[in-house]
Amino acid sequence: MTVLLGVMLLALAPPAAQAVEWDQNVLKIGVLEEPKSLNLWLAGDAWSNHVLQLFYQQLYVNRPGDLKKVPWLAAGEPQYDPQTLSYTVDLRPARWSDGSPFTAQDVVFTGQLIQKFKVPRFFSLWSFVKSIEAVGDHQVRFVLNRPDASFTSRTLATPMVQKKQWEPIVKQCLATQKPLASLLRVSLDQPASSGPFVLKSWRRGVFIHLERNPHFFGQGLSLDGRPLGPHIEGIVFKVYGTSDAAILALRKGTIDFYWNNVQPGYLRDIAGDPAIQVFRNQKSALYFMGFNLRRPPFDDPALRRAVAMLVDKRFIVTRVLQNAGEVMTALVPAGNAFYHLDQVAPYDQELTRGERVQKAYEILVEAGYTWEVKPMDHAGRMQACSCLLRPDGTEVPPLTILTPPADYDPQRAMSGMMIQEWLGQVGIMAAARPMAFGAMLEKVKGHHDFEAFVLGYGNLALDPAWVSAFFVSKNAGKGGWNMSGYDNPLFDTLADKAAKTLDPGQRRELVLQMQSIVQQDVPFLPLYNPLLVEAARNDRFQGWVPMVGGIGNLWSLCQLRPSGGPAAEAAR
Amino acid sequence: MSAEPQTASQVTPRRRSPWRERFREDWLVFSRNPLGRAGLVLLSVFGVMALLSFLPPLIDPMYHPMTGVDPQVLYSEGPSVRHWLGTDFMGRDILSQLLAGTRVAFMVGVSAAFMSIVLGVSIGMVAGYAGGVLDTLLMRLAEIIMVLPTLLVVLMLSALFGKLNIWTIVLLIALFRWPGVSRVIRAQTLSLKSRPFIDAARVAGASHARIVFRHIMPNVLPLAFLYMTFRVTAAIVIEAALAFLGFGDPSTVSWGMMLQWVWKTGHMFQAPYWLFPPGLCISLITLSFYLLGRAMDEVLDPRLREENGTV
Amino acid sequence: MARYVTSRLAQIVVILFMIVTILFVLFRLAPGDPVSRMVDPSLSPEEAANLIAQLGLDKPIGQQYLQYLQNFVQGNFGHSFHYGLPVGQVIMAKLPNTILLFTTAMVLSALAGIAWGKVAAWKKGQGADMALTVAALVTHTLFLPWLALLVIWIFGYKLDWLPINGMISAEVWLDPASGHLDKALDVAYHMVLPLATLFIMHFGSYLLVMRSSMLQTLREDYIITARAKGLTERKIRNHHAAPNAWLPVITSVGLSLAFSINGGALTETVFSWPGIGRELVMAVSQNDYPLAQASFLLIAMVVLFANLVVDLLYAYFDPRIRY
Repeated sequence: MTVLLGVMLLALAPPAAQAVEWDQNVLKIGVLEEPKSLNLWLAGDAWSNHVLQLFYQQLYVNRPGDLKKVPWLAAGEPQYDPQTLSYTVDLRPARWSDGSPFTAQDVVFTGQLIQKFKVPRFFSLWSFVKSIEAVGDHQVRFVLNRPDASFTSRTLATPMVQKKQWEPIVKQCLATQKPLASLLRVSLDQPASSGPFVLKSWRRGVFIHLERNPHFFGQGLSLDGRPLGPHIEGIVFKVYGTSDAAILALRKGTIDFYWNNVQPGYLRDIAGDPAIQVFRNQKSALYFMGFNLRRPPFDDPALRRAVAMLVDKRFIVTRVLQNAGEVMTALVPAGNAFYHLDQVAPYDQELTRGERVQKAYEILVEAGYTWEVKPMDHAGRMQACSCLLRPDGTEVPPLTILTPPADYDPQRAMSGMMIQEWLGQVGIMAAARPMAFGAMLEKVKGHHDFEAFVLGYGNLALDPAWVSAFFVSKNAGKGGWNMSGYDNPLFDTLADKAAKTLDPGQRRELVLQMQSIVQQDVPFLPLYNPLLVEAARNDRFQGWVPMVGGIGNLWSLCQLRPSGGPAAEAAR
Repeated sequence: MSAEPQTASQVTPRRRSPWRERFREDWLVFSRNPLGRAGLVLLSVFGVMALLSFLPPLIDPMYHPMTGVDPQVLYSEGPSVRHWLGTDFMGRDILSQLLAGTRVAFMVGVSAAFMSIVLGVSIGMVAGYAGGVLDTLLMRLAEIIMVLPTLLVVLMLSALFGKLNIWTIVLLIALFRWPGVSRVIRAQTLSLKSRPFIDAARVAGASHARIVFRHIMPNVLPLAFLYMTFRVTAAIVIEAALAFLGFGDPSTVSWGMMLQWVWKTGHMFQAPYWLFPPGLCISLITLSFYLLGRAMDEVLDPRLREENGTV
Repeated sequence: MARYVTSRLAQIVVILFMIVTILFVLFRLAPGDPVSRMVDPSLSPEEAANLIAQLGLDKPIGQQYLQYLQNFVQGNFGHSFHYGLPVGQVIMAKLPNTILLFTTAMVLSALAGIAWGKVAAWKKGQGADMALTVAALVTHTLFLPWLALLVIWIFGYKLDWLPINGMISAEVWLDPASGHLDKALDVAYHMVLPLATLFIMHFGSYLLVMRSSMLQTLREDYIITARAKGLTERKIRNHHAAPNAWLPVITSVGLSLAFSINGGALTETVFSWPGIGRELVMAVSQNDYPLAQASFLLIAMVVLFANLVVDLLYAYFDPRIRY
């Protein structure tokens, strides 16, 4: 027993006081999970992206505010030649972290690598690029097969890798039986970085230590009126497996920023602390309810509209999301102002529960639905009703609303539960059924075996190419993105036209029209767009740049400066 | 939980005595045991809670444990006159949820335990009575299943198959919790098999089925019943842990679910009124069944009476 | 002895093989495929199909099984979908952490259980016995995740004494000034709360086992003889009764291993202890088949071998058993 007590006492004594030398001017960021990999081609998750976006830079990036693409590694706007269907891009004289120059060869290499390996997530952006050639060291020419609007908005935003580092790896991978699998399994000890920071050390599961990249092109440069740094010596990403630990660390000052959405419950915890600043930013996200249009009962648009009427999005946002979000009325979120459809469908007006049931009831009656016991009595009061009967007199069978499991997303699971109850008010027997994410996608996307589901895309591209992808009839096959099985020739024509239209104004008109159609036909019912609530301390560093997607972004990390106090003095 | 009788308590085989008389005799032993009494009292409290759980939704729809929200409450609030234990983040009444959770706990615990006992007793009796290859096979199977940590297995299965229905969970728990029982019952059956009264039955021309069900079963049932109380605790704990990790049935308001909500929505620091009750209930109901089991153990095993229990 | 161990090992191999097979079948039967975890709106159906083919998930199931068995024998568990690293590498990085936490917890709680169980039996019926027995009963039936949250709430939040997550702190390990002792202390510091949680959960059952076993021993003839010889009570307790009474505790540790592992996984998850149980829970929710499968297998293996070790220990300490 004495031994036990001894160990306990020993452990209770806090570790020796730490010298502050090494972490002066080092930003500490708390993350929930560490990057799954520093292999750019494998890592598609947000946690990896937090780190990788500081290494692998893009030719063009979105600027805060209007989210317009501005040159980053590129030196100016891309020059389009309609005759040859080609774009020419000039490059900045930048350097990699090993001191070697960033050249047109790197760009050519990156594009060709993606095409050769058909790298998931990137290939579709490069499949229509016929050729990539270096014109001198600092100019690249891309020739396309066909005009495509996503070239400038998305293809040119591909992160670039260093030819010198990847060429030997690619050779090895091509020699194996499964080149792509081999490529995805490559693990790099020291990724060459063209960004503001470079990897110093990574202790799995605990921290990733980055230091300033002395060769970063942005140092001392002012881009878009923003003086780039970095003005800090390095970043330590500290992995906290649970939010409670990370929030506690933020309160204590062990971290300067928690790079994750802060759950509503914690807000009360940090609200009173003047050293902690809470930022609320929009996300480029879409959380929606989808219907299966391929089979009854949701093949009937009237029933879908009635459901849309019954779903109280305001309730979901205020209660389930605790106000950390906004009601979504169209597909493109309001934060993406240029493509946002500012038009409210009848079901998105502010209505009381009773009014919603009343209107849904009216829609259903008009479409020929009946009940043995109606949901509204003669006086117009809600009452418990019998099962809804279709115009042909058969019962609407009990249906299932698939949602992700509660551990993955408690809010969507809970929304599904609420929708289930609301549908019951007009006699639609629905049951929300949370299931494992993979299993759910397989059912919805792979087998089309579902009635309705609640899903969300947390990180949609700002370019609205996906609006077409979700609803064009050619994507309605198994595994395709048109999960609802929506088939509308008018929509298809508009989508086709939008893909080929390069003029932003004209393209915008088409995208708005497409959204309006979806609003009427309700293959998807947009539900909400969660606000990203983030918290950062202001006692060590200042200068966070808010933008869609939160304050954790490249701009912030290039612009942050030590705020007063000893750290700032040391920096000077 | 881990603590169960490790060695098969040797139940003195009895001829089938009139049940009532035997019950009174056992009750006397049981009621002298303070721990058993405490367990029974605690359990009755939970029984009352389970019955009361039907009340709140009748008083006002806002007291519905899953879907009822207080229109005046937008955030989690502490105890008040309207909500004796406070509300959760959506404005749902915690007391109503706690009561509903009692019902779920009983349902899960008793049904899973019952199923696993039925399985365990049948397999144990068959293995013990049949012997030979069948015995070896069944016991090997039992060994394999015993090695597996039930929670992790059920977690994996329920996540893999995406069927998180509460009854599936109950079934899975039952499927993985029979080996312990079956081993004890098998040992018991083996010793009974060689007793004269079984021989007598055999000589009298009784069929195997008759011997197993009429002569062996009544003698192993008390032991099975004892094991059932331990299985109830195991089932409740596994379901709660599963729900806590986020793999529970979200349309059920169980205590594990409540803990998952308070943890995952970030209220655990700010809302002790929400954090404390569900965990306390899980712990206490486990304790009450456990105490009951120990007391019954003493009833069944006269050697233990004096020592006040083995584990 | 050697023969016994060999036969037990053979048995373990057979059981493992069966578990491997069952696992394989279960994992392939399950709906949902790993590729769907990697999707985002820009991944076209062809890209998805391409990825499936590259990862070998489209082969006939028999072929997949044979390859799996072969790989398993070679100790090659494939690549984790999530990390893109060999599964062996991921697991081996976590295994020592689990063993450190788990073994320490088990040994400490068994020792405490034996020490306190001895006292309880000796003072049977007195206040100390009542207090210990009730404490054991109550702590032993606590709901572990809740206990963990309580411990975090009290010591991490209210009192702010101890770290509530992870195993080491970046500050100490990044600081070039910290030596080995600082690092060791840092680990110990992080281990206090998860260790305390597991300890509170487990000592009770060992205490109760020790108590009843000790009570039985005290009625044995040789104790009565010792008393008759006029030995001091303390000597009888510590040198005659206890050495024989604590053997059942060992058996009890072995029997409860599978359950304790459940608790270990929960503790690791709540405290973010970078161990294998937490890895399994995460792999399961991420549909990372190879990783989940291998972690589970490893856990089963650990339980099997631990049981063997427990049996051998028992034989070693019990003078009556010789193989």
